[in-house]
Amino acid sequence: MPELPELTLPELNPVIHGKLRLALLSLLSSVEEAEFTWLRSKTGSTDGNLGAQLLKLEEAGYVAVEKKFVQRKPQTLYRMTESGREALTEYVQALKQLLGTAISV
Amino acid sequence: MTDNTEELDLRDRLNLIETMIAEGRRKTESWGWTFVLWGVAYYIAIAWAALGNPALAWPVTMVAASILTGVLASRNRSKGPETTIGRSMMAIWIGVGISLFLLMMFLSITGRMEIHIGVAIVCAMLGMANVTSSIILRWKVQFACAVGWWACLIAALFVSEAQAGILFLIALFFCQIVFGIYGMIRESRRNRAIVARQGASHA
Repeated sequence: MPELPELTLPELNPVIHGKLRLALLSLLSSVEEAEFTWLRSKTGSTDGNLGAQLLKLEEAGYVAVEKKFVQRKPQTLYRMTESGREALTEYVQALKQLLGTAISV
Repeated sequence: MTDNTEELDLRDRLNLIETMIAEGRRKTESWGWTFVLWGVAYYIAIAWAALGNPALAWPVTMVAASILTGVLASRNRSKGPETTIGRSMMAIWIGVGISLFLLMMFLSITGRMEIHIGVAIVCAMLGMANVTSSIILRWKVQFACAVGWWACLIAALFVSEAQAGILFLIALFFCQIVFGIYGMIRESRRNRAIVARQGASHA
């Protein structure tokens, strides 16, 4: 029997695969920058969990943080970095490839 | 079974990405109210000028409408972050708004307002702004508005002064006020649909 070529499935980036982190990156991909409070309201997450997941994304270099004061009130702004955008694009492509395989099998 | 669960999980993630991107872009088209506001402002200015005080009517109405737009827009902006599309829209309409404001104000102050040319210039500028924004937003209804303004531009140059004024009022009503109301209804429907979808996904 002839040997079949081995099917190589793409791996999903574990940093992005977490649901909240994925939601955060997707949200940030559609805006220039976003406040912590806006991200919290859109994801319905708690402050602690949101902060922890954003820190993981920041450590991976996928988001950049800017802290400033607006009318004497502290404001934390998050912005998606270029490598974050690339990582999300690759993740979506891998996801589609995996789903394509799941459908065709 | 495991394969099915995994596939569902992956689909769930793909849906999550789509929902979140849509959520981030949700504010992009929330500008219907500005069309209504400026349409009404033009009607007020035209009516006031027709009643006998054109030198005062245009500057006062335009300044009042500008201040109102600024206040309402800044309140809207504080509700969410800026998007690239949103900033492009703002750039187009601020550019056209300031140009129209200066044009109408100084034409009326200097008394050099010639109805045919005035209507044609305003229609050309509004046609340009509408077509640019319709291409960015891929919005056919707004493209139709641009065509409406261009039709008014051409027609205004072939008819009498009074007829050109009436044509402008008709175009203003349909391409500005009716379009603005349509935009507001569309936005409100979309917001309700997103809330319903979020409710379903949380359930």
